[in-house]
Amino acid sequence: MRLSDEELVEAFQNGDSSAFDQLVSRWERKIQGAIYRIVGSGEDARDLCQEAFLKAYRGLGSFKREARFSSWLYQIAVNSCRDRMRRQRGKTTVSLDEMSETGELPFRGDGPSALELMEAGDLSRTVAAAVRSLPEEQREVIVLKEYQDLTFLEIAEALDVPVSTVKTRLYRGLTQLKQRLVRQGIRSATPIPAPTH
Amino acid sequence: MDCDAYRDDLMDVLYGEADPATARRFQEHQARCAACREEVASLRRVRRDLDGWVLAPRVASRVKPLLRPRYLAAAAAVLLSVTSGALVLAKGELRYPNGQVAFRVAAPAPEVAELRQLLREQEERHQQALLELRTAQPAATAPGDRDALLREVARLVHESETRQSAAFAAGLNELADRTESQRRVDFAQMSAGLSLLESRTGLQAARTTELMGKVVLASQGK
Repeated sequence: MRLSDEELVEAFQNGDSSAFDQLVSRWERKIQGAIYRIVGSGEDARDLCQEAFLKAYRGLGSFKREARFSSWLYQIAVNSCRDRMRRQRGKTTVSLDEMSETGELPFRGDGPSALELMEAGDLSRTVAAAVRSLPEEQREVIVLKEYQDLTFLEIAEALDVPVSTVKTRLYRGLTQLKQRLVRQGIRSATPIPAPTH
Repeated sequence: MDCDAYRDDLMDVLYGEADPATARRFQEHQARCAACREEVASLRRVRRDLDGWVLAPRVASRVKPLLRPRYLAAAAAVLLSVTSGALVLAKGELRYPNGQVAFRVAAPAPEVAELRQLLREQEERHQQALLELRTAQPAATAPGDRDALLREVARLVHESETRQSAAFAAGLNELADRTESQRRVDFAQMSAGLSLLESRTGLQAARTTELMGKVVLASQGK
């Protein structure tokens, strides 16, 4: 019988450390995917995912179970992303290389050059770059809603903000994306071709 | 028409989280408002565009199994044994007080907290001895007793000076340890940064070469 997250948390708090193993197996892919989409680097995503689960391991003993485990875990992950981005702010980065590690190119407001288009190869990279160009708060809700399929309430719990704030950030994020994707020449009226990678 | 008032409803409808009353309210508004109809349609298109961002398999690879608790314990044991070995070679000292791993490089010195505790106890003993001396001395002391008293006072002064020197030395040791640790951390960070820079420079060169090849092929019409 598959135990719920909350049952596994209870088992862990009662001394069954293998319950944490199951929680990691259940959530690691989703958490790592979310982190990757927020921070934009595969290497950082792996590090931050490890960091998030280590924090969860340390904090799970005192987790109150008032919120969902998943919301709590996403909260830890998002906070880790914010800490990382705060530390990186102001540092010189080699963004082209950073993006190339995962096959994506950076977004620029003035449009890509012919060389970049040739490199970009597919629309997936352009969409990724457009999402990454959003302000941090909007990017977080877009990722959690569109790619993690969380409800508004779960996102509100994870980000510790009211549901109405989540909806506002999401609306603004989608509106900005619409403008940026049109500028990038993506024909929103037609379905996006399947990615090649 | 105040479309902003329907924005929350719009988001609920767009993501399928609207209850029946909300959905009906928004449908009624939408039936009268072409702008909102267009807005919903355009946001649906953006959502469809967002589906186009698919992660490469290597990005979605699993967290390294090292994280799992059972591996954590084994890894910690290996790390501790390796660290202990290195510390032995470096004439260092590894301790595990209060569940925290602590190590010290070079000559071992007493723990500062322990030392301070010992000094406090010694101070209390001295205060007690002084008190006993005061109460034991009659108002007028004989010359021989005065000499003994002076010797005792001199001894106490000497011990006090020794105690202060020990506290000062302990503070210096602590400062030296912290400085050394920070120096090692800084050095490690600098090394990691240089390695990253080197690898990036190499990658950049490879990419430039590859791009030039593509440009040449394109210019040749291949």
